[in-house]
Amino acid sequence: MNSTPTTPTNANGRRYWRSLDELADTPEFKEWLHREFPQGASELDGQNRRHFLKIMAASFAFAGVATLGAGCRRPEEKLEPFGKQPEDYIYGKAEYYATAMPTRTGAIPLVVKSYEGRPIKIEGNAQFPGSNGGTDRYAQASILNLYDPDRAKRFTKDGKTVSRDEALKFLDDLSQKFSANQGEGLAFLAESSTSPSRARLQKIIAQKFPQSKWFTYDAIDSGIHQRAATQAFGQSVKPVFNFDKAKVILSLDCDFLGGEDDTHNHIRKFAASRKTGEGMSRLYCIESLFTLTGAHADHRLRVSASLIGQIVSAFAQKIVPEPPDHLVQLAKLPADIDAKWISECAKDLVAAGKNALVVAGQRQPIEVHLLAYAINSVLGALENTVELRKTTQNESADFKIFDASATDTLVILGGNPAYNLNSLPNAKTIVRLGYYEDETSEKANWNFPAAHYLESWGDAITSDGTLVPIQPLIQPLFGGLTELEFLARIAGESQTNPHDIVQTTFGNTGDWKRFLFNGFQLEIETRSMAVNSLFNGTLPQIKSITAPSTQNLEVIFYRDAKVDDGRYANNGWMQELPDPITKITWDNAVLISRKTARELGVQNGDIVEISLNGKSVKGPIWTQPGMADYSLGLALGYGREKAGRVGTGVGFNAYKIFSGKYVETGATIKKTGETYVIATTQSHWSMEGRPAVREANLEEFSKNPDFAQEMHDKEPPVVKSLYPNPFDEAKKTALHQWGLVVDLNSCVGCATCVVACQSENNIPIVGKDQVSRGREMHWMRIDRYYTSDPKRQNNRSLFDPNADMNQTDAEQQFAKWIDDVQAVSQPMLCQMCEAAPCENVCPVNATSHDEEGLNVMTYNRCIGTRYCSNNCPYKVRRFNYFDYNKRPASALKGPFYPTPLLNKTDGKWDLLSWFKAPEASGMREEDEWDLIKMVKNPDVTVRMRGVMEKCTYCVQRIQQAEITQKVKAGASGDIRLKESEGTIPKTACQQACPAGAIVFGDISDPDSSVSDWKRSSRNYSVLGELLTKPRTTYLARVRNPNPAMPDYHAPYSTEEYEERGGEFHAAERGNS
Amino acid sequence: MSIFPKWTNWLPLVLLVGAMLTGGAVTAGVWYYFTPKYTRVGYEPVQPVPFSHKVHAGELGIDCRYCHSMVDKTWVANIPSASTCMNCHSQVLKDDPRLAIVRESATNNTPIPWVQVHITPDYVYFNHAVHVARGISCVECHGRVDQMDEVHHAKPFSMSFCLDCHRDPAAHIRPTDKVTDLGWKWDSDPVKAAHMQEVNGAKFVHDWKVQSLQSCSACHR
Repeated sequence: MNSTPTTPTNANGRRYWRSLDELADTPEFKEWLHREFPQGASELDGQNRRHFLKIMAASFAFAGVATLGAGCRRPEEKLEPFGKQPEDYIYGKAEYYATAMPTRTGAIPLVVKSYEGRPIKIEGNAQFPGSNGGTDRYAQASILNLYDPDRAKRFTKDGKTVSRDEALKFLDDLSQKFSANQGEGLAFLAESSTSPSRARLQKIIAQKFPQSKWFTYDAIDSGIHQRAATQAFGQSVKPVFNFDKAKVILSLDCDFLGGEDDTHNHIRKFAASRKTGEGMSRLYCIESLFTLTGAHADHRLRVSASLIGQIVSAFAQKIVPEPPDHLVQLAKLPADIDAKWISECAKDLVAAGKNALVVAGQRQPIEVHLLAYAINSVLGALENTVELRKTTQNESADFKIFDASATDTLVILGGNPAYNLNSLPNAKTIVRLGYYEDETSEKANWNFPAAHYLESWGDAITSDGTLVPIQPLIQPLFGGLTELEFLARIAGESQTNPHDIVQTTFGNTGDWKRFLFNGFQLEIETRSMAVNSLFNGTLPQIKSITAPSTQNLEVIFYRDAKVDDGRYANNGWMQELPDPITKITWDNAVLISRKTARELGVQNGDIVEISLNGKSVKGPIWTQPGMADYSLGLALGYGREKAGRVGTGVGFNAYKIFSGKYVETGATIKKTGETYVIATTQSHWSMEGRPAVREANLEEFSKNPDFAQEMHDKEPPVVKSLYPNPFDEAKKTALHQWGLVVDLNSCVGCATCVVACQSENNIPIVGKDQVSRGREMHWMRIDRYYTSDPKRQNNRSLFDPNADMNQTDAEQQFAKWIDDVQAVSQPMLCQMCEAAPCENVCPVNATSHDEEGLNVMTYNRCIGTRYCSNNCPYKVRRFNYFDYNKRPASALKGPFYPTPLLNKTDGKWDLLSWFKAPEASGMREEDEWDLIKMVKNPDVTVRMRGVMEKCTYCVQRIQQAEITQKVKAGASGDIRLKESEGTIPKTACQQACPAGAIVFGDISDPDSSVSDWKRSSRNYSVLGELLTKPRTTYLARVRNPNPAMPDYHAPYSTEEYEERGGEFHAAERGNS
Repeated sequence: MSIFPKWTNWLPLVLLVGAMLTGGAVTAGVWYYFTPKYTRVGYEPVQPVPFSHKVHAGELGIDCRYCHSMVDKTWVANIPSASTCMNCHSQVLKDDPRLAIVRESATNNTPIPWVQVHITPDYVYFNHAVHVARGISCVECHGRVDQMDEVHHAKPFSMSFCLDCHRDPAAHIRPTDKVTDLGWKWDSDPVKAAHMQEVNGAKFVHDWKVQSLQSCSACHR
């Protein structure tokens, strides 16, 4: 037993810890670790096992009786072919169409997979210039909205359903009424859009109804980059940030990898600049929330967001020649900000010259943006790291000047102003085109269902100025209207078909068919050349503010990583996706720093009341390491009152205290005494401090490129097995050997892969209650580890002087040294061990190896013992505790899924009702069920209760590729898939990754990229010392901090590894 | 006071009844599950149109792929749409009452509800195209459909049936241009044919690198 590998856990060593509780080593956490599954995971609520057995016995008796009578022959099934065969249609062959998903300031070019007429999977358009086929979370999840049973399906007038014809006639009447009076009293409220067709219709409306007004409102305003650039350069331009060309990047509260628009482009470009070696970029980040960008910064300054103006002034003072007086005055920094940090960072920026890039975040006021442009301009970054593109601005007014008394009819296009603005102005008639029957439609007189973008004809202009088409993959499921048709009808246009509208806008600028086929049109005016200009504005004055304190807290309203501004609230995939940083699911929380929490006397789960400007809202506290002190982070988009059965009532509504400013000071909080349970995945499946993520500074890496492989825990002495692994024999004859590598240096932890995997592999939604029991089903998760400096951990002078030095575990979470943390993300999926521990313990051989190195799972064999999950060191196996796929939408959130076995409906035992009428069992209504089924991938089994499942490397895609090649080969031996021929399939996670951080392929082909990556000196196996020989390996992360900076960390990883008692091993060990 | 409590008097009887019940269950199980009927061999439902494969495929010699046109392109061997039937039947037997449903289907685009004969369970991902393209004839799974008036289920679609072939593809593989020729043999002399199958089968398996996968992921995913 002594040979069992153990992880040395010297208390002095740097450990990767996953949660505050873990760091604090609380008894609860210890129990959590020692229980294989969380409490209750293997127990039925309110029923003990004995009772369960009794009922099971009874039900088996029932089943036995049933079998004797009815028999169990398979039912007769019908095959109904087309009467007339459609041309070029092949049963069961997926088709792909190019389209695009519109975003606030651009669009994401997509290729959508359609199976038998229904879109089932969204991918990025890899043909699009510059694209690698990556997308973002929202694009991946948007397909679920299409099949949302709660979406608006009917036309209503004053709450009553009216026919479509009647509703359309109303629009005609509206058009006639307002053409008579020049549009007096007509107002439009729209969200921002880049559609040229909509802009054209807007102009037509402005001509026909000159008195009408057009307002734009976005709850999350991403347009500030364009407005600031336009103001700074005196012409209508928008910036494109080329992170790939940048060598030194300074982010001023700019979460360009997470919360801003167009992240998929930013992540791709940023990852390109982070190639290890000469020319690796360096990221400085100044922010208050702990964001994905901050997590990937080489230097991060934790500071209140409202002080950024002062800090950027300090930068400007150092960089801009002859800074004006007001700038100099303002540039005096608060005492707790290290002036050396600023001056060294500024030096680095100046040294980088035109390869420097300063970006201001969209939450920051326009003055900060202007200063950032001034700095970029002085550094010479314009036309290199910051490109400016001409753009057209639509005439539109700010909704703040909306006058309800002068408005007869208010037309609302999309959005959800009743929720985002807390109240809807009282116009006489409100007409609304909306995707959901939500808070706004409740107040509107007329409601029109909107079409999903996958049901719509449309167009958009991407952030880099390329025109892209939006073409429908399916007819509107519920007869929804597109924005274009809706506007054209109001305008009284004769042309109301959205396809024709888009084609008319497109005109003769190119080949229409080719445009649709490719999914973009390059030779279009909007792309145009860069604006050759320097910053010509005067440097703006920034108001000095008093630093936040406990009585004057700063509130930051941010775009949620999951529900956006609330539009994805009814999307179960998004609700269940753990937030990339906090790992909270199904909720938002009041993010707060440790120090602030201590001073205010609150801790995780305490419900507090936040008051700001006389308004207040209640929400639970969540202590966030790395948060700035005296800042509260509130995610917008939760607390919906009428979102649908999934989203209603999830979290709290931060809009209640939101007044349009994303950073505001002057808030106070009050403890209410109530507590709340937050479901988080953060400390599930802890790795207990093993070197799961390995990293080094660039300096260290160039000295010792093999560092990652040397950080290899002690291996047990190996005795030659009497029973050789049958896989060793089988792989000799196999065609391919599959392997996967994740580059932790490129991965930013955005979780697009997690949603892509959920979409591709029919992964169910389990609900908050189940997540809190550790039963989430994601085949792929992103582990996020916080790390902190052990030298600071051990430095007594850094402890809070008021704290008792003999702290208890529970108090330790308030210790100061953990405020400045680093974070790393690690995508964790099945490691496809060659010597898989899960396979040995399966009593029914349901999990086994195939000859190509896949650890495969045979669902129909699985009897649900869960031994495999028990024996998996990576905890990547997921068990279906219930028939998650058959739950009604109303039961998704919990509190607990009633089993048909024990549940009663209307006083009748469900099992008995089911026995009498199996068709009418208390599951979903048929039509709703049919709708939800449409999103499923037909190539992947929909797993049922009692079955274990896990990542398969998308075996369905591998099989598809192999079969295609074999069909092509026919009577020849050319059946091997080759990367050089482009026949190697991509896994869903790989295809969706905007960073290109995942590569999958054949490791038996030495020329494949996966083999190439595996040869990298940074390649290592997680828990390789267990001799599981994983096929999934990782490339260690390299940080690139500036040695001149005051917070420069010596490269600890190897030292600390030693300090913990770990040993060095020759680099050739362990990694297969 | 005996060491055996009183209830043990019943033990022989209980054991006997138990043994009988168990024996009965085993017998019933074998009777039910081990017969070809369980795998639907011989299943011959009545189809809505009295279509005879014997006439079309056998006597007229129409290639299987004339109607099942996607069998070499996709996982499913499609049931032809009525418009395919009408290619000929707009002239041949064009007023025959037996074809009324077909004509109606082709005109109104209403599907004909054919009854499915061959079916694999949902957890099996069987692909026709790859088998057909690599020299496995229709006859291997479907039998002599060209001799059937009404199609019946000729072979058991059990897992062992699949595995028999996957373990020894050389015994079943044939030249790819003979795949739809159901009655084709290497030679009219059975002994010679068997020998040729053995020699050529092994050659095909080697030359075409036929994998005959037996891992779970080949069919289940």
